Amino acid sequence: MTNIVGIDLGTTFSELAILNAIGKPEIIPNADGERLTPSAIFFDEENPDMVRVGIEAINSRYLNAQRSVRWIKRHMGDPRYHKTIDSKDWTAVELSALILKKLKQDCSVEHGEIRDVVISVPAHFDEVRRKATMDAGIAAGLNVIGIVNEPVAAALYYATTRKVSGRVMVYDLGGGTFDVTIMDVKGHQMDIVCSQGDHSLGGIDFDQKILEMLEKSYREKFNGELIASDEDRAKYEDESEDIKRTLSRRDVAKKMLYGPKGNMKVEITREMFEAAIGELMDRADILVEVALEEAGIDPSGIDKVLLVGGSTRIPLVQQRLEKLFGFPPETAVNVDECVALGAALHAGLTMVREKPDAVSAGIANGLKDINLTDVCNHSYGTICAPLDKETGRRVVENRIILKKNTPLPCEASQMFYTLTKGQSEVAVTVTQGEDKAVEYVNRIATHKFKLPADRPAQCPIKVTYSYDVNQRMHCKFEDLESGRILEVDLALGQDGKVSKQDVKEKDEEMAAVGKSKVQ
Amino acid sequence: MRMDKLLVSILVLLAASAAVTFSGLIDRYQFARFVNHIERIGLRYLLKLRGLVRRFKSSGAFGRTRTGIAANAQSGPGTDSSSPVDIRILNCRVRLTKQKDQDRVVDVFNVDICGSIHTSITACQAALKVSVLDVTDEFPMAVQTQVRQGTGAGGPVLSPFYHKADLGKLPHQVTILSDWTSVAQLRLDKLLFPRRGGRTLQFDTSVLSAETGQELALARCRFVYENPDFGFMDLQENSERTKVLAVALAFAVSAADGDLHDWEIDLIKNWARDNILDSPEEASDQDIPRLDKALNKTIAFFRAGNRLDGCGICRELLGIAPIAQRYDILELCLYVARASGTVAAEELAILKDLATWLEVDPERFRVMMQKVLPIDMHQVKDIQTVLGITLDMDKEKVRRHLNKEYSKWNSRVTNSDPAIQGQADQMLRLIAEARSQYTSEQRVSPQDTKAPVR
Repeated sequence: MTNIVGIDLGTTFSELAILNAIGKPEIIPNADGERLTPSAIFFDEENPDMVRVGIEAINSRYLNAQRSVRWIKRHMGDPRYHKTIDSKDWTAVELSALILKKLKQDCSVEHGEIRDVVISVPAHFDEVRRKATMDAGIAAGLNVIGIVNEPVAAALYYATTRKVSGRVMVYDLGGGTFDVTIMDVKGHQMDIVCSQGDHSLGGIDFDQKILEMLEKSYREKFNGELIASDEDRAKYEDESEDIKRTLSRRDVAKKMLYGPKGNMKVEITREMFEAAIGELMDRADILVEVALEEAGIDPSGIDKVLLVGGSTRIPLVQQRLEKLFGFPPETAVNVDECVALGAALHAGLTMVREKPDAVSAGIANGLKDINLTDVCNHSYGTICAPLDKETGRRVVENRIILKKNTPLPCEASQMFYTLTKGQSEVAVTVTQGEDKAVEYVNRIATHKFKLPADRPAQCPIKVTYSYDVNQRMHCKFEDLESGRILEVDLALGQDGKVSKQDVKEKDEEMAAVGKSKVQ
Repeated sequence: MRMDKLLVSILVLLAASAAVTFSGLIDRYQFARFVNHIERIGLRYLLKLRGLVRRFKSSGAFGRTRTGIAANAQSGPGTDSSSPVDIRILNCRVRLTKQKDQDRVVDVFNVDICGSIHTSITACQAALKVSVLDVTDEFPMAVQTQVRQGTGAGGPVLSPFYHKADLGKLPHQVTILSDWTSVAQLRLDKLLFPRRGGRTLQFDTSVLSAETGQELALARCRFVYENPDFGFMDLQENSERTKVLAVALAFAVSAADGDLHDWEIDLIKNWARDNILDSPEEASDQDIPRLDKALNKTIAFFRAGNRLDGCGICRELLGIAPIAQRYDILELCLYVARASGTVAAEELAILKDLATWLEVDPERFRVMMQKVLPIDMHQVKDIQTVLGITLDMDKEKVRRHLNKEYSKWNSRVTNSDPAIQGQADQMLRLIAEARSQYTSEQRVSPQDTKAPVR
């Protein structure tokens, strides 16, 4: 029987969990015996093929920051991002693949081949970022059988390990991203209601605020800069993180600053820290309110708040939530691990659904009562040119067909009409985004739909989108008069068109990751 | 010709504005009368009229005169509806009635005929043709109908209106209709008159041989109709005037910060060339220099520190420009404000004023502004304008509004365009800032923060 694995590919830390014989997820420690692996990479200077991932990479940053990379997740899906090492441009997909390779490699030592995995992503990740995450898994030699939203994974773990019932809010404040998800839980039945997320709100932003305080203190005392090099910055970034952790336990954190103009002792109080992160916390509060509004409820409609992610240890986070909801949020034994554990459960559910023969009876039995109804993470639409009622002019706009947060599986249709007499084709575009304005939505597929010529304007074209539980989307464009049909399938990890350039890039990714020795 | 008109209208505009600005130097009332005189009967009007007449003549839009009537056709004298009837010839009259069209009622001209129709043969297959000529002004013009909808260069396309119908076989060589017989209903919503107001319309009702097209009888009558809508000549003039005023407002925005930047001037000049000249490619050798001369005079006017009465111009635009054109003007002004790379507080203020004066939807203006002038261009962050916080909002409304804005920009933060990503990031920060400013316990109300936050 194959190993069933869930991976939390985090901004600051990554973890791997595996389903045991009775379908319970367990975190697998890395080669250093640690349950969490820092999502950091260091390219060895002496041995160019050697890539160090994890705590060793963190420590090596102080010596040569130029050859180290962190917080890659923030750049997933960004085609402009790359890290140049020894004249090779490493993309975010390749760098993430190195981390996944390390997790896979360390787990394989004890548990044999690791192949079928589910990787977690923030709920607000769009298709581009989800695809990039999947590509990273493939480049690491994994068979990515699914992508799960981090708060969904966390809720899966919570719901299967403790008594959770009613309308639940999962508050996932991780190292680099923030998600809030509202779901209905009844026993092992979980129905997602809605999700909201912020791609650049997490622990590293709080660390940055502390770092700014340290730099300011030093500047005020010595009239000079504390940080003179990338290595200094790496060191003080970690010092800032350490202060943040201390302030979650104590009221004051003390540190020595060793700068070029002299040394000094600083004291950062919890009050100072909370004032510094106030604006960031406001952003989190707004998203909570937005999610509540999307769900059509006020705070009293939430029965339980579940905390996920290391940054939820900050007392201010818990205080604000308690003030808003009127009861304290619930914390897991380890908020850092529940996403990976839930991702393993999700992988088990996917395997039971897709390849039941590959799942042991013990695991199948352990998962048999769990039922999850997920939702569309984004709205999907098409581009059309309706008449603007106010001006009487035609305007090009995005028309949403499948709405965000529609429970899966789902299907929706809308009717459109040809614009001109003799129109022989329609450019059909599948969009992802919540806006009417076309500039603000992402075009995920574009095709030409050939129509019979010599027809009048206003011929009806029915557009139907459907989305299944495996996150496969099917788009059907139907010319009702002629019966002609154009169908576009958009599975996760595929955008409906694979160019030679895509294939070449994928081969290069595989080669670069495959060639690198990860330690 | 159009250049003369433009030059004059810009000069008139500047003169009018100068009068407003320097009201102490010239008696405002007398000056306004002078400007009005020039505008109404002076050079500009005459040039315009001559041009339009020439245009319509060349398009064959003018109606025929009596000399065009076939010799063998019987024709009645030009009559009013109330003229006495001569049964020996064909007579016509027109009544304004109403007609039901599905779920609505439309006004129609009901055309009646009576009298005699003479043919050379019996059982002649006959057809009816009604055309309408507007004879109010010195030069009669055919009433038009729209043959293609559309805006901009592609349309709409107008064509002289006529109504044609089969009359069946005339039983005798002389057919006499002793009573008024209704033969045509002409829907008013299909007719386009040259101008608004009282119009004297001449209806030519002819009976034709369906086989040869020969005119067998022609009756002519007149009807005075009060047209409530702009005529096609009004629209043409309004459109041209609108463009001139648009240029003036664009310069006003450019000059708002005390300096007309070269990029802004280039943008306005290019817009003027593209929109005011019939076709920049077909413009004559003199057209562009003359336009440039007019524009340069305008630039000099602003560089001399003069200012326009923007409110007055917008008031005029409200009367002549449909909402779509007002959006076009605002868009031009937004792009002018953007041309220098940053938007000064004064430019933002005038843009807000223009939006109010032009009576465009404030929310739509805000969306336009967000697209054309991303927040990083704003020298001063006017939170209320940028985020659409209005004075009537209480704390709860502000909170809900900001949540909506946050949700909107948060979904844009993963856009594939880095510029939009950057803008979304900045907007999210601004919203968080506004939230703490307006909805915290020691909040400031929108009324208290009319001044932009620097």
